[in-house]
Amino acid sequence: MTDLLANLGLGFAVALSLQNVTLCFLGCLVGTLIGVLPGVGPIATIAMLLPITFGLDPVGALIMLAGIYYGAQYGGSTTAILVNIPGEATSVVTTLDGHQMARQGRAGVALGIAAIGSFFAGTVATLLIAALGAPLTRLALIFGPAEYFALMVMGLAFAVVLAHGSVLKAVAMILVGILFATVGTDLETGQERMTFGFGFLTDGVDFSVLAMGLFGVAEILRNLDQTETREIARARIGRLLPSWADLRQAAPSALRGTAIGSILGILPGNGAVLGPFAAYTIEKRLARDPSRFGRGAIEGVAGPESANNAGAQTAFIPLLTLGIPPNAVMALMVGAMTIHGIVPGPGVMTKNPNLFWGMIASMWIGNLMLLVINLPLVGIWVRLLKVPYRLMFPAILMFCSIGIYSINAQPTDVMLIAAFGVFGYGLIKFGFEPAPLLLGFVLGKLMEEYLRRALTLSRGDALVFLERPVSAVLFLVTFTILAAALLPSLRRSRDAVFTEA
Amino acid sequence: MSDASDAVRRTRSVVRAPQSFVAGLGLVLLGMFGLWAASDLPRGTLGAMGPGMLPHWVAIGVAACGSVLAVTGLAREGAGLQTTGLRGPLTVVLAILAFAITIRPFALGSVASPGLGLIVAGPLAVIIGGYATPEARFRELLILALLLTAGCMLLFGDLLNLPIPIFPTALIEAASGTIPSRVMLRLAAGALALAGLGLLALERRSTRRSRTDVAPHAMTT
Amino acid sequence: MRRALAIGLLSALGAFGAAADTYPQRPITMVVPFAAGGPTDVVARIVAEPMSRALGQQVVIENVTGAGGTTGITRAAQAAPDGYTIMMGHMGTHGAAPALFKGLKYDPAKSFDPIGLAAGTPIVIVAKKSFPAQDLKGFIEVLKARGPATNQAHAGVGSVSHSTGVLFNSLAGAKPTLVVYRGTGPALNDLMADQVDFMTDQIVNVAPQIAGGTIKAYAIATPERSPSLPDVPTTKEAGLPGYEVSAWNAVFAPKGLPADVRAKLTAALDSALKDPATTKRILDLGGTVPKEVEAGPAALQALVEREVARWTPVLRSAVEANP
Repeated sequence: MTDLLANLGLGFAVALSLQNVTLCFLGCLVGTLIGVLPGVGPIATIAMLLPITFGLDPVGALIMLAGIYYGAQYGGSTTAILVNIPGEATSVVTTLDGHQMARQGRAGVALGIAAIGSFFAGTVATLLIAALGAPLTRLALIFGPAEYFALMVMGLAFAVVLAHGSVLKAVAMILVGILFATVGTDLETGQERMTFGFGFLTDGVDFSVLAMGLFGVAEILRNLDQTETREIARARIGRLLPSWADLRQAAPSALRGTAIGSILGILPGNGAVLGPFAAYTIEKRLARDPSRFGRGAIEGVAGPESANNAGAQTAFIPLLTLGIPPNAVMALMVGAMTIHGIVPGPGVMTKNPNLFWGMIASMWIGNLMLLVINLPLVGIWVRLLKVPYRLMFPAILMFCSIGIYSINAQPTDVMLIAAFGVFGYGLIKFGFEPAPLLLGFVLGKLMEEYLRRALTLSRGDALVFLERPVSAVLFLVTFTILAAALLPSLRRSRDAVFTEA
Repeated sequence: MSDASDAVRRTRSVVRAPQSFVAGLGLVLLGMFGLWAASDLPRGTLGAMGPGMLPHWVAIGVAACGSVLAVTGLAREGAGLQTTGLRGPLTVVLAILAFAITIRPFALGSVASPGLGLIVAGPLAVIIGGYATPEARFRELLILALLLTAGCMLLFGDLLNLPIPIFPTALIEAASGTIPSRVMLRLAAGALALAGLGLLALERRSTRRSRTDVAPHAMTT
Repeated sequence: MRRALAIGLLSALGAFGAAADTYPQRPITMVVPFAAGGPTDVVARIVAEPMSRALGQQVVIENVTGAGGTTGITRAAQAAPDGYTIMMGHMGTHGAAPALFKGLKYDPAKSFDPIGLAAGTPIVIVAKKSFPAQDLKGFIEVLKARGPATNQAHAGVGSVSHSTGVLFNSLAGAKPTLVVYRGTGPALNDLMADQVDFMTDQIVNVAPQIAGGTIKAYAIATPERSPSLPDVPTTKEAGLPGYEVSAWNAVFAPKGLPADVRAKLTAALDSALKDPATTKRILDLGGTVPKEVEAGPAALQALVEREVARWTPVLRSAVEANP
């Protein structure tokens, strides 16, 4: 305990120097900005800013880059709530209830809850990293391919619960998502799968491209259909900040979201991506009236947003203690560290205590800054909704195109968002929800990898998933979730059949 | 979302829920397409799963879901099909394509588009895209395009330093050496912004003079 | 406003009027065919900064990823040979690619004007901590005895760990089961967690883990020991002298560069690699800076030809045997 205090003291001493506070602020500001811009992700920005950090000392540089990373997470939820475009896999869930709240004139409340929930989660996660970072790494080593496969299957079960319409349609969407995920060069054999000879498909479809099409463009097309309702939603602005009642309602969700997000974020196999989905599922299960979800339930924003931010923070644990980057942004952080001559790995904590504890302390400072930056901005964002839609959507189109182009510098990616936009519009017209598709896409890729790896290691013995205790428990949980989700709907449909007959 | 009033209801026909029925058929088609697309991939065994294993079974799953959905569409009462206009989707697709083709040289077979950069691609996307709604007015879109492009040039090109082409390739080659690219970017952005603001001022003045004739006049442009 | 327009017009006209005389007149794009933050990207960014200073124009990195790096190289190869587009090639894109990608649209030895080698990254043979062998000889014996019962991790067909791993197997006569990972990070994680037995990878990725004692190293595939891992013997010392590989990075330009432009780029790269701060950065990563005989276009051309000849048979037979 005294160790912890001494370490945190050292960290804050490093992070609170004028230079580092300024850099942290700059990072958070830039991060928020690029997070808000649809399509432009932290990856491109961090890559571009890397050379600028050459002149800084490593601690300052990394504090700034980390600020961009979690600033972007913050900003991403703003776009998800305001215009229904998830910038990253982790903000898909926020669109479900967050954007509904915005449509009901509660955008300010949704944004405020997202900001406050994230701050709370960030604070807890920072403490968690400081106190338990090193021991928690052991968790990472318990998870082998079999366990990750079980975890991904559990994630897909969440996706079923996520949908508020027909379970059958949700399952179909998940499968379509997995099917999309298999497009591209096969990792194991290098063979091209379902690319039809198109060069731009050899690496598969980028998540942002799919998300931008299914959510961004399709949403525009849908809005163009319904002129009247749109204008009404625009006229009502409502409260700018959450009331006490809102806060009280959201607090338990934020707590649960933080716990879930923190735990999943520690897993180096990109467990953080599951955090928001898991949090949403749990909130929906625990709610007295689950039908509110998908129609603007505040818990549906608070839980996933907290999980999202907690996961983003604890994802630094595998990076700093094992040297294993859990996702693409963290891989870039490894690059940034190596450029500055610090090779992340088990030795960082003892060899560079300044860096390790300074970064941890700066995370908390960064979260505080994000709250300070974002709460006043809520007013501006909400006012943006007042812009007439006929001017709003061409602007969104342009930002999406630029953002998508900036990811890989491929014009074909931009064309694909048009194709997926029309596809997504069709889905909406036929009563499908795009969120399960996106989750199937994200998890499908990982799931196949882990499945094949686990089976290669077990030499084809599928029982391995039940023999390993952690994976067996995860499968049991999956089974329970699915049973709970499917049984009532089966019963309902039977009733419906009977009443009709 | 389901606009029951717009829906075409056919209570008496064989298909009792056209939406589910057609959606189901669509899924079956998608599944069959997936099966065909993955048919040339080796499926392998459980111990050494081939690249075709997962796509094959997932495609079957999609088709199965589709057929169940189609059957429920026959068996149970449900939502009808929704009508759609073509204007929105077509225009939006066109706008995005225009951006994609002009942002950098794009080769399709032997024909290649000249790379025109953000300064052309941006306004194209905004103005074409704007016509997706019948409420579009040319002058308004032009102002928006000018101001947004100027902003984006500064934001993406100058501030964030993303490697996105800003100017036509021909112009860059011609101008190289005479003027630093940063200065050129700022000058061009400034010019666009000024043009946009100027037009905005003109527009304001004319709207004040005659509020009524602007909209119909703009509709015909 | 009229004045601003006039200024804009004038400057545009002026731009058309003046002809470019001396290279470089505007920023140079360096295409990096891999994702930002990876080893090749890091080398490119380290080198680009002093090159910018030497050329008097910024060298901007553009990451164009895809198909084992060949997407970016193909695009750069097709760019105008005016010196404004150059690329950071790599052992995979300019050595292994012809064996792995059937429809490759460039020839590593013929489609480029080589500028020079930038850095080399030694390959290290690493195994899980509990692997029952003390040295490389013992390790190879165990591998041979167990056959497919051992698991070798790699980061996907075409990756450095795959190519160098396959080469190691063919030289050592080992036939382990290959386990694929998306990137070396997850592969290392499973190596630490005892899920897989061994892999071969770049020193940058494995050195901290070796130093931290979570995995062990049997040999380093360079002629001399590395200052970052002084206790690890070379493959020559350890008894597998044929296994000398390094994941090299080199700067190329599209074929047909004007002679003066080429000379300027070569000189810029040269001065970048003589800059002590730059060399220190590369050495800190466990990399190697090209020696006098390895530097320059001619040496690079020879290296590319040697590498293509070396990788093609090994990789072809490996891919055919284990499709």
